[in-house]
Amino acid sequence: MTARKNKTKTITLTIDGKVCQTEYGKTILQVARANDIYIPTMCYLSKVEPIASCRMCVVDVEGVDGMILSCQEKATDGAVITTNNEAIFKQRQNIMKLYDVNHPLECGVCDKSGECDLQNKTMEFNVSQQDFTARDQHRPVENWGFISYDPALCIMCEKCVHVCNEVIGDEALAISAGGYNSTIINTKPAEDCSQCGECMAVCPVGALVSTDFKYSANAWELEKIPASCSHCSAACQMYYEVKTTSIEDPEPRIYRVTNNYEFSSLCGAGRFGFDFENRNVAKDPDAFARTLDAFRQAETIRFTASITNEEALIFQQFKEKSGVKLICEEARGYQQFMAAFSYVTGSSLYNSDLKKLSESRAAVVFGTRINDDAPMVKYHLTMASKHHQARIAYMHPIEDADIQNIVTQLMKYEAGSEEGVAALLAKTLLEGKEIPDTIRSYLNDLDVGNLSAESNLGEEEFDLLKKSLWKKSGFTLVAGADLYAHPQAENIARLLGLIERYSDFDVLLIPPATNALGVSLICDLDDEATGYTIGYNAEGDFVLSALGEGDLDMPALNQQEGTFTSLDKRVVPTHVALPYGGYVLNDIMSALGLKKRYTIDYTSSLPVEQGFRAIEFDALPDYFDITGEEHRGYLLSPFTVEKKLELKPVSALPTYDGIVLYQCNEGNQFSPFTQKTAQLKRDAKLRGSVQFSTVAKLKEGDRVKFTLHGVEYQRVFTIDTSMKGTVAINPAFDMGLSSASVSYYRFSQPKLERMDS
Amino acid sequence: MSLEQFKNRNVGTQAYKMIESEPTPPTGMGRFERVVKRTFKGELFVGLGVTMREMINALFKGEMHTIKYPMEKLPISPRYRAIHDMLRLLESGHYRCIGCGLCEKICISDCIRMDTRYDENQRKEVTEYTINFGRCIFCGYCAEVCPELAIVHGGRYETASEQRASFSLFEDMLTPIDALKQQKEFDGFGAVTPNADNAIKKTPLAY
Repeated sequence: MTARKNKTKTITLTIDGKVCQTEYGKTILQVARANDIYIPTMCYLSKVEPIASCRMCVVDVEGVDGMILSCQEKATDGAVITTNNEAIFKQRQNIMKLYDVNHPLECGVCDKSGECDLQNKTMEFNVSQQDFTARDQHRPVENWGFISYDPALCIMCEKCVHVCNEVIGDEALAISAGGYNSTIINTKPAEDCSQCGECMAVCPVGALVSTDFKYSANAWELEKIPASCSHCSAACQMYYEVKTTSIEDPEPRIYRVTNNYEFSSLCGAGRFGFDFENRNVAKDPDAFARTLDAFRQAETIRFTASITNEEALIFQQFKEKSGVKLICEEARGYQQFMAAFSYVTGSSLYNSDLKKLSESRAAVVFGTRINDDAPMVKYHLTMASKHHQARIAYMHPIEDADIQNIVTQLMKYEAGSEEGVAALLAKTLLEGKEIPDTIRSYLNDLDVGNLSAESNLGEEEFDLLKKSLWKKSGFTLVAGADLYAHPQAENIARLLGLIERYSDFDVLLIPPATNALGVSLICDLDDEATGYTIGYNAEGDFVLSALGEGDLDMPALNQQEGTFTSLDKRVVPTHVALPYGGYVLNDIMSALGLKKRYTIDYTSSLPVEQGFRAIEFDALPDYFDITGEEHRGYLLSPFTVEKKLELKPVSALPTYDGIVLYQCNEGNQFSPFTQKTAQLKRDAKLRGSVQFSTVAKLKEGDRVKFTLHGVEYQRVFTIDTSMKGTVAINPAFDMGLSSASVSYYRFSQPKLERMDS
Repeated sequence: MSLEQFKNRNVGTQAYKMIESEPTPPTGMGRFERVVKRTFKGELFVGLGVTMREMINALFKGEMHTIKYPMEKLPISPRYRAIHDMLRLLESGHYRCIGCGLCEKICISDCIRMDTRYDENQRKEVTEYTINFGRCIFCGYCAEVCPELAIVHGGRYETASEQRASFSLFEDMLTPIDALKQQKEFDGFGAVTPNADNAIKKTPLAY
């Protein structure tokens, strides 16, 4: 990671007699693992910098006195390395003996038993008795919200602290050092830590466990079902762990979610929001018959972008067959944005991805409340910040206290002025680059003074941004959902397209919903619904719903198999975790003439011309290899788009005076499906600053009513002292079927009506 | 017969008596003579006398040897594997089972199920526990694997019932709390070895 310059230099070394070739910069441990040579470790975690607290990974290097820590020592050309001999074994055995001192003998009840590194290594190094001693002390169990911490079981490997600081970026966990009294401490109260649960995922022992899961099942009883998280467009790798509900109820239930924590991460929604299945559904032939009738007379199908690629293809084929209109508000804006973007860049897809982002030297985040919209992207920004000292500019009308620690420059613009900001950003980033004259003159003709004044971003802020970039390379621009539904989205897209095409920046356009990218590639979407409308997890005259409140039940995404298209431009498979007794979309369509036996029979028919590949569902790989290379599904292949370089002059920037509401599902909430889960469920509140409360004349706890795009909201207002300005945050995850239609421009100025409580 | 005699597996140390019998006469005449001798010796009456003596002892002196099953039962070897018992801790009376799930895991006929939860005292509580005796093959692995000697095989070998469910619940197998004093420590397969005390090594306490 740190040796970029010598990247191409190949070196040869010998480990345990095996000749290994590698590029310079890899550690001995990495080389050994890549060559299938086993070196035991207790504290090593691939996705963070070497922790070097356990010292289990010691090896002998010929000609070097003493033992070398293979996790942090770089492999050198010609080195001859022995990973195991009597002295090393003795050393490792002694480490295990020390780890085992006073470790409570409660494996019988410990959640980790059966998958515990300490158990495994204690057996491996043949530690059967305690030779050392220390006075034990009282260490009470602590509860950190979804996570509980038992310091008595903690072996102080520090994986949790590193993952919290280097990957998640919460900086909540820290070490309270004190020799044998050392513990991990949570410096933030439970409500301020993002509750991602990554610390408990990486914990090699039972010290950090899920409060909800605790003592409810043993590791070996749970069946791991590989899946992709369905809550946001990152579609992270995960396993649903399933077992029978109880002795009386043999139906399976999801007990917890785990992931391949060595190479990927999960946010709290993925980890704790798993029980959103549509329960106890049986086939109802009458409702099915009514559904078929509804489809026969439907003029429009409205659906959310939280569907699989296969379902999207089914809708598209049904459209081709019967001529219905397809409405997906979430994906439509994104589709148009991508189209305008592609006309400028000449490629159907944006050119950055998560890996590139995590290795960036600088990043600009524009038009998205990143920590809530796409936590996975935020984690990669954190990695860039922590591992590559990346400078991160956060451009948004609301500052976010949760990402203060990684943001180096906050550029706060006025709500509604995104077009002007995009123009100024393009001007800044394209300065001194080779660009066509038309664009040069377009940028030169921009009324910078006016735009700066209207957007409230001064030239000096852009100068500062420019300055922070001048020395380095490897830049990423992350743009998000605020822009896709903006009235001037098309022009913004073109301006961002210019940035990707002509500047040193790679661009990542975060899809606004789980499969918005897939839907936008597969479906030919329409703009306006007319006539009789069928809603699929959305409002309509006839509703198919996985939330269990429609005219016909549908399976939720943990009851379906299929693929998602992630923001990493990857088509990833997900599998059935829980059985479903009712009808699925494919049953309806089979009855209407689209003859395929299973939904996944559509996987190989996904449109090749849009970058998909004709691969059967069952042939899709789903794993990370030992070096961390991702083999999940396949990558979309971008195709060339005919270039058109048209730029519209920046229109007069709208002004949002007074109070503004910002649509944002905060803190591990994404949709009604996360709200349906037992652990994440909570009351949606309108959250604003003290200033907002003064301007809006609202007190803490006041109930207000307002209408946004035809949907009525009732909210309790709460003051957040960490916020500033007159923009309040209004979530929509509790709005059931109508939350999907909330895909309009995220800033709005509804009339707040106070309700008597 | 006492349990100690059952448990003594060292053949040769028990008080066996060897019966000395004369060799069979080689000639036909010799064998004939032996038959005549035995016939007229009067041993028949010795045997009848013994029967008479035992009958009198049984009827008038209360030394009846017949076991009146099912009112009376013979003691059964602790190694016999009958319907399971769930034992309690002698001091607190709390059930011994910690809900570790090892019996469930090791069970080769997959007949043990348990539900557990995190209780108010921060302990793992067994909320429900059943053994399906329709499937149980009484192999004894559960008792052997149990780290707490909580599940053991009892001596209740009569497994006829109107329903098998009559045996299968935790409460049915658990020592009744008022019978705690009568609870016997399990001696069968998986029990602590007689020399366990000698095998224990003390944790060093240097502080």
